[in-house]
Amino acid sequence: MVDGAAGVPAVRVQGLWKRFGEQIAVAGIDLELPAGRFIGLVGPNGAGKTTTLSMVTGLLRPDHGTVEVVGHDVWRDPAQVKARIGVLPEGLRLFERLSGHELLSYTGRLRGLPGAEVDKRAAQLLDVLDLAGARNKLVVDYSTGMRKKIGLAAALLHNPEVLFLDEPFEGVDPVSAQTIRGVLERYTASGATVVFSSHVMELVESLCDWVAVMAAGRIRAHGPLDEVRGKASSLQEAFLELVGAGARTAGSDLDWLGGGAR
Amino acid sequence: MSTTTTASGGATAGSLTSVVVRLKVSLLRNGLRQSTRRRAAYITSIVVALLVAALQLIGLIALRGNPHATAVGVLLVAVLALGWAVMPLFFPGGDETLDPTRLVMIPLRPEPLVRALLAASLVGIGPLFTLCLAVGAVIAIAQGAAAFAVGILAIALTLLVCVALARAVAAANVRLLTSRKGRDLAVLSGLVIALGAQAVNFGLQKLGSSGGLAALEPVADVLRWIPPAAALDAVDSVGDGAYATAIAQLALTGAVLAALLRSWQRNLTRLMTSPDGSTLGAAGPTPDGTRDSTRPARLLPFLRADARGGAPSRTATVMERSLRYVWRDPKTKAAWVTSLAIGLIVPLFNALQGTGSVYFACFAAGMLGIQMYNQFGQDTSAFWMVAMTISSPRDAYVELRGRALALLVITLPYATLVTVVTTAMLGDWSALPEVLGLSFALLGAMLATGAWSSARFPYSIPQEGYKNVAPGQTGLAWISIFGGMVAAALLCAPVLALTIWLHVADADAWTWLLLPLGTAYGAGITALGLRLAAPRTAGRLPEILAAVSKG
Repeated sequence: MVDGAAGVPAVRVQGLWKRFGEQIAVAGIDLELPAGRFIGLVGPNGAGKTTTLSMVTGLLRPDHGTVEVVGHDVWRDPAQVKARIGVLPEGLRLFERLSGHELLSYTGRLRGLPGAEVDKRAAQLLDVLDLAGARNKLVVDYSTGMRKKIGLAAALLHNPEVLFLDEPFEGVDPVSAQTIRGVLERYTASGATVVFSSHVMELVESLCDWVAVMAAGRIRAHGPLDEVRGKASSLQEAFLELVGAGARTAGSDLDWLGGGAR
Repeated sequence: MSTTTTASGGATAGSLTSVVVRLKVSLLRNGLRQSTRRRAAYITSIVVALLVAALQLIGLIALRGNPHATAVGVLLVAVLALGWAVMPLFFPGGDETLDPTRLVMIPLRPEPLVRALLAASLVGIGPLFTLCLAVGAVIAIAQGAAAFAVGILAIALTLLVCVALARAVAAANVRLLTSRKGRDLAVLSGLVIALGAQAVNFGLQKLGSSGGLAALEPVADVLRWIPPAAALDAVDSVGDGAYATAIAQLALTGAVLAALLRSWQRNLTRLMTSPDGSTLGAAGPTPDGTRDSTRPARLLPFLRADARGGAPSRTATVMERSLRYVWRDPKTKAAWVTSLAIGLIVPLFNALQGTGSVYFACFAAGMLGIQMYNQFGQDTSAFWMVAMTISSPRDAYVELRGRALALLVITLPYATLVTVVTTAMLGDWSALPEVLGLSFALLGAMLATGAWSSARFPYSIPQEGYKNVAPGQTGLAWISIFGGMVAAALLCAPVLALTIWLHVADADAWTWLLLPLGTAYGAGITALGLRLAAPRTAGRLPEILAAVSKG
């Protein structure tokens, strides 16, 4: 199913622009993401990561530019693209009045998978993601970590070629994070592509083998992790240099802070 | 503020009260500063409340000397107290100074805190309204100087009991109010208020028909021993010279006030020293959704055809989810219950009063058809899950058709039932086929226009609170619903014209034809509406998602 070996990039973005009123969220992005890699899209809050991912997955219409996923145009050939991608957006709801199991069953059947297959995959996903105990609990009563996990399960259910995750670890407890990580590593090991956004550099550094750095609506650097990191000791340092946020000194304004009461 | 000392300084009881009262005033003022619209809304509600209060005051003063003045006053105060008791359950976020969790980090003793919060809650429109009503009631009731003196005490007691009641109820139920179930309940409160208004309306009509205010006396006889109405009745007792009764009534009210304050204080202490509901709720998996999770599926076994090995059907999947949401989503449920209730009440009440026409039965179809409007807004931003699976007009068509079918599962039998019942009550059986035909044609037209406007004019339904439209989308919602309803009425014109023509042409024997014709017309126009809406939906997925994600 995965045709990354054929040399077709997982995602090809050309001249992507998006403006909300006065504010330019994405200011002309050209980017090619290789298939079969664990790709991190990093940048500070407001860099345009969510806007970019929304446009790439067809949830937001760009002002200009084209997006191709595994060689298919997102806007001209939605059927081919939507069947091949899984999405976990940030800030959008799920059908929260369904139980975890019902949500997966609904998603799978909506995607046209056979009922028995959906039930089998749903049960396995719930099991692996440690949600089996909460399968009959309504998603509205789930914690943040559980929501991310059930969202991930819904995104994986149809075995997509490319998985887009927007801040999948935001607000997730360490145990759930480790579970999610395990599932994603197993998934990429099979040759699939994961594209995820984050502003936590340590996480990206430990998970990804390919990164794209975004700031102020533009791509500042992209390529294999080692290349982007360059001579810097960590991705964090390289990133701060790239976005031009040098170390600010705390100054002497807070000299009263610490050292006992008053 | 001058009290920005360190934590160890603390505040004395008196200054704490003034700090909390000033906090309440600042919160009110800052709330007004946020937006002109909010300011306008607040000023309007003040003006309306004051106008009503003034009218009540004048009305009560005019009642002075009337033998039933006490009964009216006692009843009004009792109803008002009831209002205070229920209010916090339905408007949990109404008063930020009420929320003890915001004060939890400040070192405060319970007694001064309760005193300060009580004082702060006397600031606002509600207490002012209560004050006006209590003053009016005392003026209406009091006979003699002694009675007026007791009246002042009664006013103070009434006000304090009302406010303390609201606080005590809120504190006792805070765990419910901050839980998901409590918020779900709050969404349904609009219905309770609407039904309560109907009950009041009904009561007033009954009052008008059954010999005036004397009818209130039996109720007042009971209420005069229930605080805070008891305090008010004490004024009357003093006027009659029954001092022992008056003292007993005042003592009872005082005791109730003390009990309320003690209960409030106890709950407040408990709340501020134990983990809150949000923390408790998240801990541990509690499979509580098992009970109702399979309900619609059980009701509609045909929906799960694919589970028995058949081909998976988007129609069944969509229907199942839609029907689950009617039951489980508080907003959707409230909308449905409203539609079902109004659709039944209007034709039935009109028939009961003898003024009805059998054609009013079409109201049920019309009200239920409204549920087809803003389909994707009902999904909230979860619409993205639907959008990810629509890649052609065909997908959109099946999605919309599934939703229309889910609606019909409830609507079709219900509209039929209402029509039959209305007809039976009016005894006009010969009109049944044509009214049914008209109902189905109207339903079809509503489904068609609903599907189209769902695609063309989607808007967000905020999930919290009472609003059914997100700020800035009111115009959109109006176009969607009212434009759609006018269009639906126009679409029904051919069937209407045929009905009128058959009657005018004295062809009453042929009016049964309207049943098959109306049904076919309704089905046809629904299919057409869905066909027209499908490509629009498929072509505007990102725009629809953006429009429904504002809540």
